[in-house]
Amino acid sequence: MNISYDWLKEYLDLTVLPEELAKYFDQIGLMIESIKKVNGDTVYEIETYANRPDTLGHLGVARELATLLGLPLKTPSWPLNELDQATFDLVDIQVLDSQLCPRYCGLVVKSVMVGPSPEWLKRRIEACGLRPINNVVDISNYVCFSLGQPLHTFDFGRLREARIIVRRARKGETLLTLDGQLVELTPDMLVIADESKPVALAGIIGGEESAITEKTTDVFIESANFDPVSIRLTAKKLGLTTDASYRFERGVDINTAPLGAMMAASLLSRCGGKASRGLIDVYPSQRKPKSVPLRLKRIAELLGIEIPEEFVVRTLTALGLKLNEQKPGVWVAEIPSFRVDLEREADLIEEIARFFGYDHIPSEVTPARSFELPASQEQDCLWFLKEILFHYGFDEVINFSFADQQKETIWQTGYQPIKLQNPISSRASILRTSILPGLVENAVWNYNREAEGVHIFETGKIYFWEEDGKQREEWHLGLITSGLKEGKAWNQPSRETDYFFLKGAIEDLFSYLGYDVPSFEPEDHSFFQSGQSVKISIKNEPIGYLGLLKPETRKAYELEKLAYGGELNLTALFGRQPRAFTFTAVPRYPGTVRDLSFQVEAQINFQDIYSQLRKLNVPFLERFEIYDRFEGGSLAPGQVSYSVRFFFRHESRTLLTEEVDRAMLNIISQLKSTLKIQLR
Amino acid sequence: MSSLQEKIEQYRQLFNDLAAKTKNIKELEELKQAFLSRKKGYITLLFDELKQLSPEEKKSAGVVLNDFKMEVQQTLTELEQKCLKPKAEKISPDLTLPGRKIYWGAPHPITLFQRKIEKIFISMGFAVEEGPEIETDYYNFEALNFPPYHPARDSWDTLYINDRLLLRTHTSPVQIRVMEKKKPPIRIIIPGKVYRRETPDPTHLPMFHQVEGLVVDRGITFAHLKGTLEYFIRALFGEKIKIRFRPSFFPFTEPSAEVDIECIACHGQDAQCRVCGGTGWKEILGAGLVDPQVFKNVNIDPEKYSGWAFGLGIDRTAMLAYEIPEMRYFYENDLRFLRQFNRR
Repeated sequence: MNISYDWLKEYLDLTVLPEELAKYFDQIGLMIESIKKVNGDTVYEIETYANRPDTLGHLGVARELATLLGLPLKTPSWPLNELDQATFDLVDIQVLDSQLCPRYCGLVVKSVMVGPSPEWLKRRIEACGLRPINNVVDISNYVCFSLGQPLHTFDFGRLREARIIVRRARKGETLLTLDGQLVELTPDMLVIADESKPVALAGIIGGEESAITEKTTDVFIESANFDPVSIRLTAKKLGLTTDASYRFERGVDINTAPLGAMMAASLLSRCGGKASRGLIDVYPSQRKPKSVPLRLKRIAELLGIEIPEEFVVRTLTALGLKLNEQKPGVWVAEIPSFRVDLEREADLIEEIARFFGYDHIPSEVTPARSFELPASQEQDCLWFLKEILFHYGFDEVINFSFADQQKETIWQTGYQPIKLQNPISSRASILRTSILPGLVENAVWNYNREAEGVHIFETGKIYFWEEDGKQREEWHLGLITSGLKEGKAWNQPSRETDYFFLKGAIEDLFSYLGYDVPSFEPEDHSFFQSGQSVKISIKNEPIGYLGLLKPETRKAYELEKLAYGGELNLTALFGRQPRAFTFTAVPRYPGTVRDLSFQVEAQINFQDIYSQLRKLNVPFLERFEIYDRFEGGSLAPGQVSYSVRFFFRHESRTLLTEEVDRAMLNIISQLKSTLKIQLR
Repeated sequence: MSSLQEKIEQYRQLFNDLAAKTKNIKELEELKQAFLSRKKGYITLLFDELKQLSPEEKKSAGVVLNDFKMEVQQTLTELEQKCLKPKAEKISPDLTLPGRKIYWGAPHPITLFQRKIEKIFISMGFAVEEGPEIETDYYNFEALNFPPYHPARDSWDTLYINDRLLLRTHTSPVQIRVMEKKKPPIRIIIPGKVYRRETPDPTHLPMFHQVEGLVVDRGITFAHLKGTLEYFIRALFGEKIKIRFRPSFFPFTEPSAEVDIECIACHGQDAQCRVCGGTGWKEILGAGLVDPQVFKNVNIDPEKYSGWAFGLGIDRTAMLAYEIPEMRYFYENDLRFLRQFNRR
């Protein structure tokens, strides 16, 4: 909203200079976005709020400044040149829907000389950021930007049967608007019609046919009040926002309508016009002013400072409120109709705080009667998980939650995606159902910008419809590793990343976070090359997967390098209770190490052997490690050789050789029977 | 001179050459074996040859051979002592070459900055809460006192999923969810992703991050809001930062405030400043006392309890703190950008 310094002077005897005035606007929350000089006048562009339609005119802003500066608010008078004819003899006004049009004022001004506006008026219009058109149009804008009361002026001669009917549009009716659009009207829209058809879209825009032209001599002035919701719905539906609709949808003061009409008529009188006698004012159900109680004590309770009673009374009175004291420090405030935002005690306390100055309210520590546990276990886990991945050299990324539906089909995530009704672009029309596609895009972006390797992860949500039609959000972790892990240095060659780097990081995530060792079972997945992926599960609950990305996917994204990816369902993982940690005594007796080399059928994989070894119930076995694996060479085809190192220990003495021998025999016999191993 | 004596001379030469090259125990052992091995040592072989000589020759050559053997033994003993002596270790001819580094991954700047904010509030006894990103109109707007069809909704341009569901436009619906299930005192912050139907530009994107704060208890005042936010901003931007509270409007707070900090790029000195547009101030958060209607919507009696709330855009505040000119840098995920943030 543009506010002119000179215009404010119509309401205030300002003594502060234009530059100084700026800081007062800021203090009461009318934030200045820019200050311009226009025709020697100072124009402030101020930010206004959706609940303060009163500040959409100079009068309302002047009232705020008057309150702050302690100045009286002037009330200019609007004398008329009157005709002998009464308005109701000239025009017939019928309001058929008083719900959507609670008040309608109108009168006729005859013999107007349509032409350029006088200089003072042109300056006002230019200060608003508008172009002067002619005196009639400029006057209605002047009234609108003075009072915040939108007006509409009709060429009276074009209104058939001199009739104004405020009604809902009929099905099939159309209106050619002032800006040349043919609008199809529907019965939820309120129109101003003459005897035969709509001539204006109420409170939004006028019609071309009844518009003021150079030939106009008689003008019908409409100064009305329309239902905010109806105006908003119609404006939204038609994609039309005008200075009028902007004000009506915020709530125009119902009691300003007569003044708006009189002011316009008076100004038209100065252009040779003669006004019809007596304003027609259709206002069937008068609104009572709102009453809001106010307690002095409550002001201090909410603001944290005692504000002098005298200040409270002076401020609210200056703002137009009437305070009726009930008992000392307790009032009932009568709210002026132009303040649609003031409804509760808290609203009045805000007014007091605003004019008292937020700067004058003290700063205090918020007392605490109890402390909360700072963060949930999940949030701790999430941060620790990130730290583990940083340690592995993964960088963290954050991608948009949106995805390209076309591109996501390549992935076949298996989830029913959630579509947006009004997406910003077709490439962001659904919510992502996997973290990995974003990571692949990041890899490509970086490979195109000199990266030699990309090792990144993201934690975030995926979104999908569940089978029962409910939306679901799941926290996931996605990881990708591709290209060089370490660049060439003077003392070491460069090193490519590989699948086992990624798997190691994931294994460590589980172990550092205190979860059970998951199982990794070879299983095909739509993301990965056939035979080159595993499913990760804990106690048979699938928790994720990892593998080598499919060449088709890489091709679709133009990712040339191999990439290994993985995704974990963190909602499922964090839903599990990690093992509670207590320390284990540090061993005080030496352990014994035994190595075992054996061969098995190649279809038995490490996970099988590992699971069998974990199941072993062997006394003194502390742990075991696989330290060699090979196939081919001297081995028969279809055979794989493993070497496993076993660590034995007794907690309170040194083990005897025979005990370890017996344990090894036990291990060998169990493995022979379960996995058919052959010793080497 | 007999041929044996000449041979001895040759072996002496060989031994001296080898001994001079011997540097460690392993080489010493090899040398010892070569000359003194009881089966195939050169000296053993020479003694075998000596046995086949005539008695005079044996006598003269024997003396020479015995001398050689003693010489060898003595040299070997000396060498052994030398080899066993700890030798000065050498690392590299150039100690100024770069060291071997282990790369430590970089946190995303939003994560980093969000964590900074969380830590400040956790130190003041706040808990961290979360909520869904897919919300209903009720939690995102109605319960927060946005009347249906009110223009106040225009500043919260919304991405809809269907007539019932939308992507939350702020973290404030989590206030409602928490107050519905927990009775005061409440002292929480709520970080998370939020969505707006914004045309992308340097400071607007359809997705960004917010952190919301909420305190509800008996006797909470605007002064508490001011004091706590001032402490928070100083902890984030430094003790000397200038802070300003000014009136504003949010449907879910009353009175409402916006908080500006002095422009850290120009400190109000540059009328053409790219960061603050010459105003010298930069808005960083919106706040206020919880609106009584919001309390009523969650069955908390506004006569008994009061509270304050604030909301801050993490992205934009991080842009200020790190002097990042474009919001989209956060979501391009260029490693050359991201890796700057492993400096913490």
